[in-house]
Amino acid sequence: MSRGVGMAALLVAAMAAASSAQQHDTTTMPPGMPMPGMPGMAAGGMAMPIPMPKGMVMMPGLVGLTPPGGSFLPGAGVDPASLPNVRPSAVVQMRDGDTLDLSATLVRRTIAGRPYVMYGFNGEVPGPLIRVPQNATITVRFHNRIDLPSSVHWHGVRLDNRFDGAVGITQQAVAPGDSFVYHVHFPDAGVYWYHPHVREDVEQALGLFGNMIVDSPDSAYYSPANREQVLVFDDLLVNADSLIPYGKTGPDFALMGRVGNLLLVNGEPRYTLAAHRGEVVRFFLTNAASSRTYNISFGGAPMKVLASDVSRFEHEERVPSVVLAPAERYIVEARFEKPGRYALVNAVQAINHYRGEFDAEVDTLGMVTVDSTPAAPDYAGAFAALRDNAAVTRDIDRYRPYFDKPPDKRLTLTVRGNGLPVATVQFMNVDTAYYAPVEWVDGMPDMNWLSTNDQVKWILRDDATGKENMDIDWHVKEGSIVKLELYNDPKSFHPMQHPIHLHGQRMLVVSRNGVRTTNLVWKDTVLIPVGSTVDVLIDASNPGAWMLHCHIAEHLASGMMTVLHVDPAAGPGR
Amino acid sequence: MIGRVGSAALALALLVVPARAAGPFDIPLFATPRAPAARGSATLVFAESPFGVAVTADGHARYDVRITAANLPAPSSLGAYHAYIAWAVTSDLAHWQRLGTVTNGTSTVGHIELDKFLLVIAAEADSASTTHSGPSVLHGNSPSSWLQTFLAHSAFFHGVTD
Repeated sequence: MSRGVGMAALLVAAMAAASSAQQHDTTTMPPGMPMPGMPGMAAGGMAMPIPMPKGMVMMPGLVGLTPPGGSFLPGAGVDPASLPNVRPSAVVQMRDGDTLDLSATLVRRTIAGRPYVMYGFNGEVPGPLIRVPQNATITVRFHNRIDLPSSVHWHGVRLDNRFDGAVGITQQAVAPGDSFVYHVHFPDAGVYWYHPHVREDVEQALGLFGNMIVDSPDSAYYSPANREQVLVFDDLLVNADSLIPYGKTGPDFALMGRVGNLLLVNGEPRYTLAAHRGEVVRFFLTNAASSRTYNISFGGAPMKVLASDVSRFEHEERVPSVVLAPAERYIVEARFEKPGRYALVNAVQAINHYRGEFDAEVDTLGMVTVDSTPAAPDYAGAFAALRDNAAVTRDIDRYRPYFDKPPDKRLTLTVRGNGLPVATVQFMNVDTAYYAPVEWVDGMPDMNWLSTNDQVKWILRDDATGKENMDIDWHVKEGSIVKLELYNDPKSFHPMQHPIHLHGQRMLVVSRNGVRTTNLVWKDTVLIPVGSTVDVLIDASNPGAWMLHCHIAEHLASGMMTVLHVDPAAGPGR
Repeated sequence: MIGRVGSAALALALLVVPARAAGPFDIPLFATPRAPAARGSATLVFAESPFGVAVTADGHARYDVRITAANLPAPSSLGAYHAYIAWAVTSDLAHWQRLGTVTNGTSTVGHIELDKFLLVIAAEADSASTTHSGPSVLHGNSPSSWLQTFLAHSAFFHGVTD
């Protein structure tokens, strides 16, 4: 048994040379600085080009390789001292008809004591918090002052298609130095966010994101809270004191997306909040990370979930934690009943692919410190109650007759590889026995780093036609209620969860793996775990060409997108 | 013949690697010699959650189990037993968690919050039993049990040459 091919396969994988990846050279090699105490430091003191999870070393067959296509860091050559210090997000209260100038610029950010050249909107990370009344329309004059083409996508907002910011679909990229004027109408109350729609793996990751809060005219729209907090989660991948560079011609980390090792809340590694005893805090949560799915809780403080992407839930629910996939938003309330410290944590069960075990991984993202002064007013009673949102249920009732209709479209989510390093392919071949429905961390950052969007093609495949991604020709009539079935094929060579985002419309998750959803909410992004079949009902009420894509930035750039054409009711249709 | 097949199935479950499950939610169930004609399969279904993906605060997946069974004999035919109960068992066999009663047809039981586990269906003295004591009739492993070291994967899927 010990002489079996298992060992041979492992050794072959370990010794294999890459078929296409480049050897290190001084121009493309990331910093690779010594990392005292850094997990993954190889025996003998050799520095890893990328940080590895604790107890793991870079595969021998991959050592010395870099992603093909080269790499770069935005703002290279710019002296951080010459840039303005980033500022925290400021609230911009806007009224119907108001105008905002929004500039993407280089900023200096100091994170954990180290300076970085990064991006910000109006010098802020997150960008300005745009607060508008429901049904307002605002004008945003976007100015691109960074070194890459850019745009602004108004994520989740059912706005005029021309202003969706989808580069290549609704507009051309805004070149450095140029501007674009967006007219943004907000028909739905809730929390939304804005970000570029080109090279999201770079621009969004480096700070180009911000929130919009759309206020309902109903002052009792949410159950009462003593205060509101807007938390945007993202992560950065750093090595010693440098960012890991980004793929020059397209994203690297194309297999799993770039999963950072520095977890940030509102752009900072440590969120703090001082609260009073018994205080109810309403949190608006957004995941702006490229790939990471979070499991967020507040040190055991009881929570209830009120709303998600595009609406409130039919019924408020108690939750132990909040699962937050890339691009998703949830509105939750937590009550801090007793004085003390409540750690804001991301707690997941990571997979160690080498040992074949689950490892608990807990990242403390911040701290809520509660003093003994009683909160006023005391919302304990209102917090204890779980409200039913009859208006949401009434709205959804119109769609219930369609819940059981056959799918209008079936898409299979899968992947193909081409030209990946031999060692990567070998390891993938021997690691196919089990894939978790959701991978919470990157358990194979070496293989992931060396994969680019030239080598990995993530696919939405139309089951009916076999067409893939942008070749899918999908038209529906405005006003249609469209059932879309999404199946995440567990038998591809690297199955992974996908947060699928549909622009400009709203949708209901009506079932998962045949199990009917009982507490509905309007969504624009839905997480599809590996091996899952998820049926969504799209309210195709907003005409235009709307992207449907995976919101893992590297998957999007690796092809995982298509377009839903909602043809005007009086138009051609099909 | 059936008895021999049942015994073989048990041996297969314990000693040999069965075919790869269809996905990360599917559990093939294998009959034991006490009920060699029994057949079954199980599917993990995320417990109800507003997030679709149900996990505990510390990140353990939270599943219900949909069990489809056929040819389960009357429990009383195996002794002083009156019901079948599904148990989730830790890999060291130290902890048996009652999931719920199972009958021929489809039963949904749960919840499970274990990373790796065995799924055992056993005849028990009554449907309210909270302690396992009766004979097992069907069992299988959670899909996550396939998470092994790379060496193990290689042996499973590439065979052994000598």
